Amino acid sequence: MRRLLLLVFLAATGCEWIADPQNFTREDIPRFKAKAEHPAPIENPTQLKVMAWNVKYGACRVDFWFDFWGDRVQLSTAEVNDCLTKIAALIKEYDPDILLTEEIEVGSKRSAYVDMVQFLLENTNLRYAAYDETWDARYVPSEGVGRIQLGNAIFSRYPIVKAERIRQEDRTDQDVLTKTFYIKRAIGRAEIEVGNDRRVAAMVVHTEAYDFDGTKQKQIKQIFDVLKAEQLPWVIGGDWNELPPVCDEKAEPTSAEGCEGKLRLSGFLDERASSKGTEYEQPPYTPSVMKPYYDDFEPSLPLARYGVGDAAQRPFFTHTVLGPDGVNDEGTPGWWNRTLDYLFVRKGEVWSNTDVLQEPGRLGITGDPSRLSDHAPVVGTWSLP
Amino acid sequence: MRRALLLCVFGLSLAAFGNPRPAWDTADTGNKGSYSIGVFNPLRLAFTDRLELQAHPLFFFVAPHLDARFAILKNPVENGEPPTGVRLTAEAGLLMPTLGMRLMKGFFFPTWATSTNDVGFMLIPRVGLLVSGNFFTHDVATFRIEGRMRIPIGPNSATPLNSFLAPLEIVMAAPLTGFLGRAGASYDHAFGDTFRLRGEVNVYLTGQQGNLVAGGINQGVIAEINPFIVTAHLNLDIAVFKHSRIAVGVLWANYDQGASEVRTGADGFSERVRVRSNNILPTLDFIWSGF
Repeated sequence: MRRLLLLVFLAATGCEWIADPQNFTREDIPRFKAKAEHPAPIENPTQLKVMAWNVKYGACRVDFWFDFWGDRVQLSTAEVNDCLTKIAALIKEYDPDILLTEEIEVGSKRSAYVDMVQFLLENTNLRYAAYDETWDARYVPSEGVGRIQLGNAIFSRYPIVKAERIRQEDRTDQDVLTKTFYIKRAIGRAEIEVGNDRRVAAMVVHTEAYDFDGTKQKQIKQIFDVLKAEQLPWVIGGDWNELPPVCDEKAEPTSAEGCEGKLRLSGFLDERASSKGTEYEQPPYTPSVMKPYYDDFEPSLPLARYGVGDAAQRPFFTHTVLGPDGVNDEGTPGWWNRTLDYLFVRKGEVWSNTDVLQEPGRLGITGDPSRLSDHAPVVGTWSLP
Repeated sequence: MRRALLLCVFGLSLAAFGNPRPAWDTADTGNKGSYSIGVFNPLRLAFTDRLELQAHPLFFFVAPHLDARFAILKNPVENGEPPTGVRLTAEAGLLMPTLGMRLMKGFFFPTWATSTNDVGFMLIPRVGLLVSGNFFTHDVATFRIEGRMRIPIGPNSATPLNSFLAPLEIVMAAPLTGFLGRAGASYDHAFGDTFRLRGEVNVYLTGQQGNLVAGGINQGVIAEINPFIVTAHLNLDIAVFKHSRIAVGVLWANYDQGASEVRTGADGFSERVRVRSNNILPTLDFIWSGF
């Protein structure tokens, strides 16, 4: 009976999922390549420049309804192309060997059905890409969102010889209808041939942002386990939607391990009161869940450099919902106000020239990342083991 | 289930077996006093032998509308007898869809909670022309052309749905793209007195997606969608009771919903190509008629 219903449903929608349930544990994903000629990368490199960036579906600083600073649901073609052109220009300025992107879309109504993977392939020096789809709905019947095809992507100047995605846990705190049309999460993994028969693994992640049932924490733990099991030299980047483990949020706030004065856990300048009680309310952060990463892996920005307290940490914040051209309800202009994005490699390996590209001038860039997404790119040079 | 079967058998046994039911959705207009109504088919009332008015009771109170059908060419015919000769009928109507569209806010349209954007008021006039002719006494071929356009009354922030249902795209085309044109043909064949089989094809042309206006500012052109929608409908009428029928069928629709698919080449690398989408939908109605 179930199969019959499924067949009837698929027939009604012309054999296309109305919302892909993504029933896989681990599966291969498509690889793409640039049609345009790009300069060849250095042969047999000893180091790779890596960039991780949540590109906010090419919306730049347009505030969507779930941001609570605006109520847009859709972009014009010109808006998307203009934003992507600037994003591509910034990527080209930094010129990474590996780019790890989240919230990249390939056929969504809200981003004018632009294939952003191909756009970046044609307009940067990156020659190969693997697209890890995490949200594929023929029509999301909420706020006129419509068709959504969103995911993470791994770009490389060196050939991607294998690509796959590893399914992450779904939320359990949603009704069936919401869950059906909601984003799924997956770890994107690509094997990259860097010469001399050497392969490295590049991974990209984007964990849950709005759950109140511990889904994000489970996903972060799963990513940790996948990294522990990885056989190739690896680099991972992405948006963990979690703060760095400067302190333990479970400890008494004023104790030695507590967070008071060391790390802001709530009351960020870009949080709007009207978001409270909605499905886009910011759940409490649990930075301690990131501690194993700092203990067992090599972050691009170690905690010693990150510092203690807002003032020290400010240069390394990677996220703000409110852009620099907006002001919050207290009249404070928007600016990066927390760190959610990271790069890690295996323990003992070496990072150099690491930074968060918050504004023009950082590592010599002239583009302005604060106007290109609600996340700043995290970058670093990874010395190959 | 048993009751439904009994009712069906009882209905069929009451079916009039003098002539088959007349073909529906043709250029034919009823004689004065005749009517028909379905769950999804409109209420149609003949006020004279040449003039009918029609409306959908289901939608009337959320999207007030009225259509008039005027027989330009029609041979006089007795009730229940098959029409003869070539029939030519003009249609004209007016629709005000705003209230219904506003009820869809939060689902198909944004809530626009932090701005004054909204679905605007508008009128949708409609004109059409149908021509029908008989073959083999009871078979009817019909050709139609139709056009609808939007007359805006004040600002409007609603943009095309690009939804997963082609029929919804057709219904919303004029309010959201400003235009809907239709050219169609159908052939309706009688199998004895009880069954009619109807095949229909339509080509629709919608307006452009238009510009995206947010906060009163034109943000540029909305992504292009191919404006052609093609549908084919196969329907079986089963005569029941004295003048009524059950209509069951299947509708296929082909349209652009922004879909793409990944095609992998011999080198293992893939390419994303834009494709058109399909709907295959069951249709079901009970059409009750009388004179």
